[in-house]
Amino acid sequence: MADVLRRAVRTKGHTVQAAESAPEGRRLGKLGKRGRRGQSHLLFLLPALAYMVAFFGYPVVKNVVMGFQHYTTTTFYTGQAPWVGFTNYRAVISSSVFDKALLNTVLFTVGSIAGQFLTGLTIALFFRRKFPLNGVLRSLLLLPWLVPLIVSSAVWRWILDQDNGVLNRFLGALHLVQDRPGWLTSTSLALFAVIVVNIWIGIPFNVAILYGGLQDIPEELYEAASLDGATGWRAFRYVTWPLLRPVVSVVLVLGVVYTVKVLDVILGLTNGGPANATQTIASQSYQLSFQQFDFGQGAALGNILIVISLVFAVLYLRANRRAVEQ
Amino acid sequence: MAQRRAILSRTTLTVALALLAPLSLSACGSSTGSSSGSADTLRVMDYYADQPDKGIYAKVLDACGRQDGVKIKREAVAGPSLIPKVLQQASSRTLPDVLMLDNPDLQQIAASGALAPLSDFGLKADGYAKGVVDASTYQGKLYGLQPVTNTLGLFYNKDMLDRAGVKPPTTWAELKSAAKKLTSGKRYGIAFAAPATYEGTWQFLPFMWSNGGDEKDIATPQTAQALQLWVDLVKDGSASKSVVSWAQADADDQFAAGNAAMMINGPWQFPILDKKTSLHYGVVQIPAPKAGGTPVVPLGGETWTVPQTGNAQRQAKAAKVVACLNSDKNQLSLAEQRQTVPTRTALMDKFAAEQPRMKAFTEQVRNARARTGELGKDWPKAATKIYTAIQTALTQGATPAKALKQAQDG
Amino acid sequence: MTTVTHPSVPPATHPPVHRRRSRRRPWGYTAIGALILAVMLFPVYWMVNVSLQPANTAVSTPWFPTHLNFDGYATALSQQGSNLLTSLVVAVGSVVFSLVIASPAAYALAHVDARWVGPVLFGILISQMVPGIVVANALYSAYNDLGLLNSIPGLILADSTAGIPFAILILRAFMGNIPASVIEAARVDGAGRVRAFVSIVLPMSRNALITAGLFTFLFTWSDFLFALTLTTTEDVRPVTLGLYQYLGAHVSDWNAVMATATLASVPALVLLLVAQRYIATGVTGGAVK
Repeated sequence: MADVLRRAVRTKGHTVQAAESAPEGRRLGKLGKRGRRGQSHLLFLLPALAYMVAFFGYPVVKNVVMGFQHYTTTTFYTGQAPWVGFTNYRAVISSSVFDKALLNTVLFTVGSIAGQFLTGLTIALFFRRKFPLNGVLRSLLLLPWLVPLIVSSAVWRWILDQDNGVLNRFLGALHLVQDRPGWLTSTSLALFAVIVVNIWIGIPFNVAILYGGLQDIPEELYEAASLDGATGWRAFRYVTWPLLRPVVSVVLVLGVVYTVKVLDVILGLTNGGPANATQTIASQSYQLSFQQFDFGQGAALGNILIVISLVFAVLYLRANRRAVEQ
Repeated sequence: MAQRRAILSRTTLTVALALLAPLSLSACGSSTGSSSGSADTLRVMDYYADQPDKGIYAKVLDACGRQDGVKIKREAVAGPSLIPKVLQQASSRTLPDVLMLDNPDLQQIAASGALAPLSDFGLKADGYAKGVVDASTYQGKLYGLQPVTNTLGLFYNKDMLDRAGVKPPTTWAELKSAAKKLTSGKRYGIAFAAPATYEGTWQFLPFMWSNGGDEKDIATPQTAQALQLWVDLVKDGSASKSVVSWAQADADDQFAAGNAAMMINGPWQFPILDKKTSLHYGVVQIPAPKAGGTPVVPLGGETWTVPQTGNAQRQAKAAKVVACLNSDKNQLSLAEQRQTVPTRTALMDKFAAEQPRMKAFTEQVRNARARTGELGKDWPKAATKIYTAIQTALTQGATPAKALKQAQDG
Repeated sequence: MTTVTHPSVPPATHPPVHRRRSRRRPWGYTAIGALILAVMLFPVYWMVNVSLQPANTAVSTPWFPTHLNFDGYATALSQQGSNLLTSLVVAVGSVVFSLVIASPAAYALAHVDARWVGPVLFGILISQMVPGIVVANALYSAYNDLGLLNSIPGLILADSTAGIPFAILILRAFMGNIPASVIEAARVDGAGRVRAFVSIVLPMSRNALITAGLFTFLFTWSDFLFALTLTTTEDVRPVTLGLYQYLGAHVSDWNAVMATATLASVPALVLLLVAQRYIATGVTGGAVK
């Protein structure tokens, strides 16, 4: 067994590069029997597929249908939900909040992902070095995720409080600001503050996955590269980045998909305020459904959100495939 | 070949087991099922999930149950999760026998047909404060009975006011000048809550209504004047800019910590404020726009309803429990224990005399208005417009009239 | 364990691999690491700080808890102990269930050339776009009919909606890096598909499995939506729900609330520290014994 593995490691460079050119999983070599292999491996997939269809299929379909219905509290009791075609969609899109919510969603997502990913990657790269307490520090880094979101939003609200919050106290003591900024109460700063908190929440996720991915890159490749004269930035560009790509893809796409529907952070910090400065499509959808009881409109917005995620995913995967093939 | 087949069948077996596992586990899971118990047990749902309210209502419900020979099976859920639960139960036809609702939510639920009119069981709301009856009435029929209510008042720090030589204000002009005078250093003159939620709307209603504003159309000069009051308080520094993100609990924290000399809040804060022994506070009515005016305040509190469960016998017993909860004895006892005001006008005088602390609230409740009194189930939209306008005016420096018009049309 | 090439060391004069190179102040890196951690964990520190203060000081909490006050913890422990246990059981159950279902699926999607791979992956991705509330509400009616409300298996199944798709996608990315030749070699040696999977692929994916398991645990531990929607009584109550209800009424008892939150984080933290020791340093590190 060990022989086989050692052989594989030495040829890994080639194997992986061959793998890179076929991201959809065409890694079989000269051995045939593709059909039967595909069929029997279907059994490996079956439990997961069954679960996904059962737990996701029905909700998705129901949500899509709800977008076309007039669905209110009455519907819950009587089951009557008159079909209204695109009325809900027209109503939400023409609402005065929609443009703002759309813009905020884009800004929030781009800002969060950029911040989380870059910071996460930097920290993950840093932790590749060997130093005492590396493991302990790395696992402690996951702590922000252990704190229930209700509690972390409360803590962040205190930290960001304009009058007594520690952040302003700290900035004031260092004379970095003239006036105490209203992080959550000023329409120009609120979105920024919410993005920063979301970055804070997302960093552990990015660090952990990227670190795992980095660990999978064998030392031998770096040695070989350094013998060829590639170290530091060039080592990153020619060794790390290509091999990290599949993991990076997953992290980015999942990151966008998760961030676009983020709800708890916004509700916990600002409730979409002040004056809709932090209202996103997700939070607006929630408010329409559960505060104004117009579930049809809430579902319509929810579907628009899914479409946005979808479009992004398709564009990204296509761009990625093209880049890899080059 | 034989080996391969064996493995294949083993794989199949494993996969089949994996698929069947959840089903077998579900058989082991406990089931709640629908309310098909005997008429000896009634299911009650409310949102008094924490002490001391939980214990107080447990006692009252059990006593009422025993009176009618039924056992009470109670489900106490967290506040914001009550309505989603009610909706889920409505669609799966598993509504409880007795359902407590926050009074502004009754219209929505009644409109859906899920509640039974109380007149079917011979219950009437005679002698109740008008606003309370309005909240629980949908299309002319009474659907709920509310034993106790509460509202907002102006809390003030006795020591701070004495030291500044300021009397508790009774008009808006006095409020503005008192707040300005009391603002010094880190301390703000007044604290209130103006967040982008229904709490912001709730806090604003006394000012809007007392000045003649109406929720049917908020783009009126009367409402604009009320909003101008708030804008002025924040602009001249008497109230913190953070009011746009504070909930009433946050405003209370500020008041308790001595960062605000006055605050707009409700009697449910008494237990929390009492814990701080160094704090000496008093409560007066919300200031009226002009001298001699009466403040018009919104009504809080929860109402008890009887959902349509399809079982006439159980519904009759449930109605008896609701009536018992609303008996004079229980109204007074609940009001005493929970810092609320009884809803029968005849009891109010007695109560005010016995509980001097609640005097300001008891007086205001007589003229209180239900939030859903005019718009019924369309209240949530109007409530959203109101807090949107407040937020815009307080944070973007728009004039109140413009902010209100924008929100009303938007 | 091998060391990392330091960027500024000139290449050609590198001594052979297995010598510890970092004579240049390894503790310097520890200090930087600690600084990063300090900035990231400040809010967590604040949470613990508030939990150790006397009640009603949340507004103007001092920087350090000068007088340690454990009232918050006393209250929290007496009320939330069983909830912590429930959370633990549900989280561990969810990890096991998710990994068992997800790893074969990830393997199939990583190493099989078939037309259905693309669409299936895309379907999994779409499932992640569905807002949680939509899933929770749909599950409520289904669970009500099946009698799965207020049950631990029910919660395990529901919480796996976060774990399984994510685990599949992550595991697939990692498993894709396993050279097909290794698996082929094993098959040529006579191992069946399942044996190849269990004996070759799984050990080589240990890194990924632990990462995926860790995230599933964290997702489930901090889940609030399903706990709220799928329980109607107090029989089965995860700690996130206990915290929420506690927060509802005692909003000014912040020290007790923060104490509960701190206590709620401790078991997960212990598990984290234990797990990180088992994350192997890559495919080679784990395989070449």
